[in-house]
Amino acid sequence: MAKQPDDQRLELLQGTLDMLILRTLQWGPHHGHGIGQAIRARSDALLKVETGSLYPALHRLVKRGWLKAEWGVSEAHQRARYYRLTPAGKAQLLREQDRWSQLVDAIGRVMNPEPAGKE
Amino acid sequence: MRPHDDDLDDEIRGHLAISIKERIERGEDPASARLAALKEFGNLTLTRDSMRRVWRYGWLDAAEALGRDLRFALRALLRVRGLAATVVVTLALGIGANAAIFSVVRGVLLRPLVNRDEDRLIYIRQSAPGIGAENMKFSMPEIGDIESRATTVAAFGDFSTVDFALTGLGIEPRMVKAGVVNGSFFDVMGLRPVLGRLLNAKDDGKDAEGAAVLTYRFWTTALNSDPTVVGKTIRLGVRSATVVGVLEPSVPYPTDTEIIANVVTSPHHLGATMVTSRTHRMTDLFGRLAPGATVEAARAELTAAYAGVVRAHPEAYSPRANVELKISRLRDQIAAPARTILLVLLAAASVVFVIACSNVANLILARSVRREGELAVRAALGAGPGALRRTLLAESLVLCTAGAVLGVVLARPLVAVVAQFAARFSVRALEVTVDTSVLWVGAALAIVAAVLLAYVPRLPSPQAPAGLGLASGVRITPGTNRRLRIFATTQIAFSFVLLAGAAMLLTTLVAMQTAKTGFDMRRVVAFDVPSAATGVGIGDVDFYQEATRRIGGLPGVEGVALSMFVPWRDAGSFGPGIQFAVDGYRPADGEENPRARFRVVSPRFFAVVGVPLVAGRDFTDEDRRGSELVAIVSQSVAQRLFPNGEALNRHMWWTDPYFGGKPVPRRIVGVVADVDDESIVRGPSMAIYQPVRQIGVAGRLFVRASGDPYAVVPAVRRTIHDISADQPVERAATLEDIRADVLSPDRLNAFVVAGFAGIALLIAVVGVAGVLAFSVSARTREFGVRLAIGSAPRHLLARVLSEGVVIAAIGVAAGAVGGFALAGAASKVFEHVQLPGALPMASAAAVLIAAAVGASLIPAARASRVDVMQALRSE
Repeated sequence: MAKQPDDQRLELLQGTLDMLILRTLQWGPHHGHGIGQAIRARSDALLKVETGSLYPALHRLVKRGWLKAEWGVSEAHQRARYYRLTPAGKAQLLREQDRWSQLVDAIGRVMNPEPAGKE
Repeated sequence: MRPHDDDLDDEIRGHLAISIKERIERGEDPASARLAALKEFGNLTLTRDSMRRVWRYGWLDAAEALGRDLRFALRALLRVRGLAATVVVTLALGIGANAAIFSVVRGVLLRPLVNRDEDRLIYIRQSAPGIGAENMKFSMPEIGDIESRATTVAAFGDFSTVDFALTGLGIEPRMVKAGVVNGSFFDVMGLRPVLGRLLNAKDDGKDAEGAAVLTYRFWTTALNSDPTVVGKTIRLGVRSATVVGVLEPSVPYPTDTEIIANVVTSPHHLGATMVTSRTHRMTDLFGRLAPGATVEAARAELTAAYAGVVRAHPEAYSPRANVELKISRLRDQIAAPARTILLVLLAAASVVFVIACSNVANLILARSVRREGELAVRAALGAGPGALRRTLLAESLVLCTAGAVLGVVLARPLVAVVAQFAARFSVRALEVTVDTSVLWVGAALAIVAAVLLAYVPRLPSPQAPAGLGLASGVRITPGTNRRLRIFATTQIAFSFVLLAGAAMLLTTLVAMQTAKTGFDMRRVVAFDVPSAATGVGIGDVDFYQEATRRIGGLPGVEGVALSMFVPWRDAGSFGPGIQFAVDGYRPADGEENPRARFRVVSPRFFAVVGVPLVAGRDFTDEDRRGSELVAIVSQSVAQRLFPNGEALNRHMWWTDPYFGGKPVPRRIVGVVADVDDESIVRGPSMAIYQPVRQIGVAGRLFVRASGDPYAVVPAVRRTIHDISADQPVERAATLEDIRADVLSPDRLNAFVVAGFAGIALLIAVVGVAGVLAFSVSARTREFGVRLAIGSAPRHLLARVLSEGVVIAAIGVAAGAVGGFALAGAASKVFEHVQLPGALPMASAAAVLIAAAVGASLIPAARASRVDVMQALRSE
């Protein structure tokens, strides 16, 4: 895993962390550290999730009923909280994914307009 | 679901452990791996706090914000101390008065009695509205009839009051009030002894031993809680009894007595009149509901049974009396006399609260107008309406809490005063103490006030042109001005209601106090010299004869006489009058014989008390047993029953069965002026007097003094004790003081309501003055312009004054309309609602208008002295 210099790192867009967490957990339950690492790895270390935002976000999602938390034992033989998607969480992920692709599409059209007269 | 704080720590620790392990696996040494992991994590505490905050409830955040607002409000209010103090004191008056009166209302009307299962205790009474008798009580045959027909009442207890001369127990001989009860009385009442035992079925009937229970009050006050009192023998008049126990503290009803004894102690209770006469009514009846029976069921059953009794004995129930049976819970019966006055007080207190609130609303409104700039800035900086409202709420909360605290402090002494006042109507008020209910009421009122006050000021609206509020200087919008005036008018209106009420009570009181009574009020002292001590008999008359002879010779005594009745003090003790007939008068068909008050007096009585003889002669010492039976009638008897009022030498006789079956004619030898010795408000006064030496006993001594009437009291007492050491001599007082004493509940009513009215007036004056002062200070520029274009200062003065008068006049009109509506509504709930006459109404209005003019003077003067140049430059 190549280390990215700090200035190339991207700030997370507001409101996207929840979606990223839900997406990460689609592959199965994980603990907080693992989720952070997974997001970082999948974004080729471009996205770095601050623990100060990650944990409150996890708890917020549990409170909303989209995640379920259970105590387990981690690879470090430590008590760790494992988070798992609930059915409501899965539905929410689908909604967020839809919204996200619409947003990307819309922003893309604004930023890179197709040549006029093509349609 | 909410994770524990330890779990949050565990989760963070788990994260660090994994992070460190990964770093070590990548080849870092443990110490630097640990440091790097911690560094990467960032601020541990901050993270944990934000995790915890996720789980926190929304209201906690709101509470925190409110806390901030409260601190801010406190600082802001400390800058306007004068205003804050006025608001706090005004609220404290309103809250304190309400809290105090509510505790008394709760204590007297709502709190349960100490009696076991007190909600199953009922009080049964017989009333005769036709002859004005609210509570006729029962005769023993009536009680027997009702008892034998009742199934909804498990047991009955009866109670009648007699006076005994009590000797024994090592205290001075004294007259005591005693309850005479049947064997089941205490069981029905559900009371317990604190010492010994109470009376039971074995003490009932004429063959039992004499037994008496001491009441707690008598035991603790007269006997210093003597623990050895049980088993001692006491003499009660002619009989003796053993003290068997002491009753627990309980509400004394119907009479506050010193002892409660069984039937054998009272010869009267064993006599034929008591046992067989259906119209000899002197007993109160209590009942305990049978299991499962309700008060309504008992009422239905007993009323039906009673109707049967009335039908079976038409001779004992005249159709005109219109008798009926009334059944109520004992608790309600005891509280009933105090209910109206307490509810009136509660209403007066709530009116004061409304006035206080609207006054405070005024002050707050005026302040918020001055703050409009500040609020506009805050709104411009992004404070939403909620946040602004919260700022205002915090401020009024601080004010109201302070008001409530001070109010509760004020309420403590007030409770004592009001309880003492209410004790004149219901004995239950004596046990009222300050309790936590005062706090609850105070807190509730404060919250109500705070919320109301926070919604008084208008918020700067987002649509309003922003520049207006941000500009310096104070401008009053027409809306605010209208609100200020409405609040001031409200205060005047409510004050008017209170003032008119107080004025009405005061005029009634003055009328009653100054009314002519027909007696010589100042120079005559009345004594209770009860005859029961020496028994009843002709020997008694000799005792009185001797006593009057010796007292007549004392220095400072102008005259001495006997009677059976002290005006007003003994009112009601002989019922609603006794039926009689006279020569030549025949009642119209369907009408009963006339009723007259029966009075026994000695020779010279009329001269001593100052009642003039209109015709004929006074009684003399020759009018004694064995000589011709004679009577003196009051003027109204003579005028109503005899042609041309010529009553002399005609005959009268009692027709009431109480005097035996055979009519005994008495020749009328004199006519005296009318006096009403029963009621304070002078009414019709048909009275028939008979000479003491033809009847037997009198028991009331009247002494006419030449100087200070109370100076002769010790000599009189000594003289009587010289003749008979055991003879009680009690309650010496001039007629004037006796009447004042009887009047004192009315006086207290008037004073308490006048007190409330005074507070209300004070608050209203502050309110009107405040509104005008504020309106003047905000219109300095307008006045400056007016002066500059030639308005005379006195025109401005008149203008402001007339504004004050207009507020007051509208308030008075609204108060009058509202007051009449209120009285109309109240008359549906209460029986005796009086409307104030024209004079009290006019004087209340005059006081209010005068107060409004007074309150407007200072602001008006300031308006007329506005400096033109300064006013025009001020903006």
